[in-house]
Amino acid sequence: MSASTLHPPVLKHHFDNLHQQHASERLGMWMFLATEVMFFAGLFAAYTVYRMWYPDDFEFAGSLLLWKIAAINTFLLITSSLTMTLAIRCAQYGDRKGLIRNLLITAALGTAFMGFKTYEYLTDFEEKLLPTQAFYESHAAHDLETKVNPERARLGLEAISSERVRLFLCFYYVMTGIHSIHLVVGIGCVLWLAWEAWRGTIPPDNYSTVDVVSLYWHLVDAIWLFLMPLLYLAGAGMGH
Amino acid sequence: MSIAIREFRSAPPPPEPVTPQVNYLNNGYSLWSWLFTVDHKRIGILYLLSITVFFTLGGAAAGLVRINLVSPTGAILTEDQYNRMFTAHGVMMLFFFLIPAVPGVLGNFFVPMMIGAKDMAFPKLNLASWYVFMIGAGFAAYAVLVGGIDTGWTLYPPYSSRYSHTNVIPGVLGVFISGFSSIMTGLNILVTIHKMRCPGMTWGRLPLFIWSMYATSLIQLLATPVVAVTLVLLMVERLAGVGIFDPSIGGDPVLFQHMFWFYSHPAVYIMILPGMGVASEILTCFSRKNIFGYKAVAWSSMGIAVVGFLLWAHHMFVAGISYYSALMFSFLSMLVAVPSAIKVFNWTSTLYRGSITFQAPMLFSLAFVVLFTIGGLTGLFLATLGTDIHLHDTYFVVAHFHFVMVGGMVLAYMAGIHFWWPKMTGRMYSDWWSRIAASIIFVGFFLTFVPQFVLGYNGMPRRYPNYPQAFQVYNVLSTAGASILGLGYLLPAIYLPLSLFFGDKATANPWSATGLEWQTSSPPLVFNFETLPVVVCGPYEYAIGVDQLGRGLPEPPGPGGSGLGGHEGVTGPAGPMNKETHVVG
Amino acid sequence: MEAFPLIPERASELAVRFEWLFWYITAVTSIAGLGVYGAMAYFCVKYRRGSTTGSTPRILGSHRLELIWTITPLIIFLTFYVWGALVYDHAVHPPEDAEEIFIVGKQWMWKAQYRTGHRVIVGGNPANMNEKDRANIGKLVLPIGRPVKITITSEDVIHDFGVPAFRSKIDALPGRYVSTWYHPIKLGEYDIFCDQYCGTWHSLMVGKIKVVSQDEYDSFLQGTLSAQGTDNPVEGSPAQLGSQLFLKLQCIECHSANSAARAPVLEELYLSKVPLRGGGSTIADEGYIRQSIRQPRAKVVDGWNEIMPHYDMRQVNEEQLSQLVAYIRSLKKGKTPTRNENFPAPVGAPTQKSQAEETK
Repeated sequence: MSASTLHPPVLKHHFDNLHQQHASERLGMWMFLATEVMFFAGLFAAYTVYRMWYPDDFEFAGSLLLWKIAAINTFLLITSSLTMTLAIRCAQYGDRKGLIRNLLITAALGTAFMGFKTYEYLTDFEEKLLPTQAFYESHAAHDLETKVNPERARLGLEAISSERVRLFLCFYYVMTGIHSIHLVVGIGCVLWLAWEAWRGTIPPDNYSTVDVVSLYWHLVDAIWLFLMPLLYLAGAGMGH
Repeated sequence: MSIAIREFRSAPPPPEPVTPQVNYLNNGYSLWSWLFTVDHKRIGILYLLSITVFFTLGGAAAGLVRINLVSPTGAILTEDQYNRMFTAHGVMMLFFFLIPAVPGVLGNFFVPMMIGAKDMAFPKLNLASWYVFMIGAGFAAYAVLVGGIDTGWTLYPPYSSRYSHTNVIPGVLGVFISGFSSIMTGLNILVTIHKMRCPGMTWGRLPLFIWSMYATSLIQLLATPVVAVTLVLLMVERLAGVGIFDPSIGGDPVLFQHMFWFYSHPAVYIMILPGMGVASEILTCFSRKNIFGYKAVAWSSMGIAVVGFLLWAHHMFVAGISYYSALMFSFLSMLVAVPSAIKVFNWTSTLYRGSITFQAPMLFSLAFVVLFTIGGLTGLFLATLGTDIHLHDTYFVVAHFHFVMVGGMVLAYMAGIHFWWPKMTGRMYSDWWSRIAASIIFVGFFLTFVPQFVLGYNGMPRRYPNYPQAFQVYNVLSTAGASILGLGYLLPAIYLPLSLFFGDKATANPWSATGLEWQTSSPPLVFNFETLPVVVCGPYEYAIGVDQLGRGLPEPPGPGGSGLGGHEGVTGPAGPMNKETHVVG
Repeated sequence: MEAFPLIPERASELAVRFEWLFWYITAVTSIAGLGVYGAMAYFCVKYRRGSTTGSTPRILGSHRLELIWTITPLIIFLTFYVWGALVYDHAVHPPEDAEEIFIVGKQWMWKAQYRTGHRVIVGGNPANMNEKDRANIGKLVLPIGRPVKITITSEDVIHDFGVPAFRSKIDALPGRYVSTWYHPIKLGEYDIFCDQYCGTWHSLMVGKIKVVSQDEYDSFLQGTLSAQGTDNPVEGSPAQLGSQLFLKLQCIECHSANSAARAPVLEELYLSKVPLRGGGSTIADEGYIRQSIRQPRAKVVDGWNEIMPHYDMRQVNEEQLSQLVAYIRSLKKGKTPTRNENFPAPVGAPTQKSQAEETK
């Protein structure tokens, strides 16, 4: 069956029919998600190696992070995944206003995440929780020297090394930084979708772009759900 | 026990000749129409032009390296210049020639055509992949022009992150960016093969080139992101002065090696699998026979892709991995050699009772099988733990990988270019000169790299501009071979462009091949086919004499000449009335 | 060195094992490869277009053949694997009683330290070394027939200590200690190459291993046999430490090489015949030298005065005494040092000036 003369305007010329087009777009996005998983998997694997080698140091370092902000951010992202899915539903039903509304809320939640993240980074910089030499001037390094390590020595435990805390902080900044970059790109895509919806190019029979962007959005959310416990929760027991 | 299947059919007539006015080449001559094309064929040509430039640059770097090695104390370069030269050679050849060559050129051009599609699944993504590739190449070229980088293509820290005084960041950024091009191409090819096959083109009827492109794309998709993140971490370490590979804060430089080789080992299969696919296409066509063991060859491609992910630390046997780790990786490396062996045996058996002619594509393909076999067999020395200790990081390794990458992949690429040139350009090149070129390249290659096995066995290390006097004679032999090889490469650089102006016009199917790409005009139409193809049989039905659409085949080229060239409209022989099918054994 | 080196020296036990494995793999792969090429050549000739009708049989494959040429290579490769693993096992597991040498790689030289404290610069790029290091360039001296374990690390980037004649190499990693071992079986000198690219002078980070007899090795450890091109005793060796003491204790004041010296020069003294005051002579062995330091007036050399002070346990302990003896044993013709201002006299030590005052 070749392309009929009455082909729908949304059908791209190299495809034979809409079904093929949508199936290709979805498969393409799932494959792209596979590459993103592999990208982060490299980071997670490296982190895991060092966590196995330096469990106590990494636990202490994790306790230095602001887990409350991470909790708020988690809530924001999970909610944004909900609104993103609602956006698909609106697109399916042709509810243009609802679609735009949900997309804008999703983008807003993502932006709020970035706002809290920025605040968190600024606080970290102020407290000198950096992987560079600056760490030695921080309260945390001072505590390590005066309170934590003497206590550990008293209990017969090996001292926690500031160098390894710096190693943890390397991971913290790289992992959350790369995640944030992906999130910002996602916000951009969501805003672009809202624009397209406003222009009227997302009819109920061609909403696959919403589908495809939502897949990406959910992945960014899922990565956060792995990242957050590894970095923030593993040290929470030590109190901060 | 042999099963004989009698095919009672009368030979269908071969197709009517057709010369369309508008094809993909003359559909707009402006630069704009080329730089903003979404036609997969034009994008394939864009890739062809760019990788030819990078091959020339990488080859020039190699030439300088070999000339310098004529003297035990360095003939023309200082140590620093030499180090930058071999790094440039490696980076240019691996990332900007071998990885994109067949997927970017032949894959882009022929995957849609061989499965009967109008274009790739994502044409704009395809164009974007070329631009991303060129941007990456731009950064790498910048790095070379402002003084080069001297870390070796393998970029091991701490040298690359904290000790090298060269332009590591732009170079690494260039490689990082071009990796995205590789991912995009792989993704595009995978979705195209899954979703855009024409009616009748089942998985079991796919040409083996498509199977190998599928396997290659799988690796491109899944392995490249790991080196991407590794390079990001390296750049962060270099820029920030501290990082996760830094021993002074408890980091491990060997972790870089694990992450780097996790990609770079499968990467070598990205480089070779497409070449194997090309060889399958050509060996069948020029021996006029079905491939021996279609399923075995197809499964072998997939097997190499999958098992290839499990071998990376065989580059690290003396790098400080544990004894038990080493045992495991050596064992797995032995396993991956088996599918390659299966392919070689199947290719050889395809020749059995064939009717063989030796035009340039066939000469290149036969040379490919011979040289790839040596390359693969010498890999076994390196996979074997006891021998690898001595041979690691010597010229034995250099010779091994040049055998598989140059003797293997470059020759297969040449074979593919020579095979599909009439289809891509609508012209035939000089049969005589192309056969000469293939022969010179084969001889030159041999002379260049066989002495390097001896050098490596005697302990000459890699990346050494200064070496003991006793090794000089082998180095001189190798350089002599390299000059012959260079001459051999020069010939196609002359006769192929010349054919565009002076070559005979090619027919639709000058080699009388069965693939769908040959059932349309040379050069092809903008949307490839006049009408949607409907496939009725498998590839390689040369014995019966039908193409994949069920039509007859034209007269195949004779032993002395090239394809028909000017004999349009020749009707083929009346095909066999019935044909026994042998399933031997 | 031969004009056309074909096979490197087999200078260690590992090398011998390597060779058997290597040639086995070569033989098997050559047979397989030539078999394939033979078949290809035969088919290409017999079935070329000119000598066939142009019609070919429709052969699709053979399950039996596929099975055969899957299983057979697999088994052959597994023999390579098993044998290789056994050789590797031998190569990476040093025996308990191996002598230990510690090696540090840095851009662009190798530093070795023996258990006695000896330090040798085992090669590298002289242009990268300071004066002191350059004076200490030597060879890695190893005893024949005994296992030696080397523990290796790097000060900067990743290097690799490779010895082709031993068929061995190991990466030198910063921040980590790794070990390998050798069992030399042949006397001679063998190349060391750096086998992991490490920067500009990677190709000059080369050196030599010298395999010597057990006796020579012991002398080397003493410091009386040097492995360098110079005659200086090996740094860190007893003889070299003795040379420091010789200067520090101001022995050089009297035992100097100038014509106005107040004491005999000590070059080539060891095992020479020494005429004594009051008649007779003695052979200057270790015991004589020791006695000359502890109780110098017991045997005075003919033609010289009894002015040497004695050095008891507080001034020169037993270890220092053996170092001085080792130094004097190693002192070659023309090698008496000059006065060294870096070692001012300790308080109370006899000096030129005070002796002059004494005799006033």
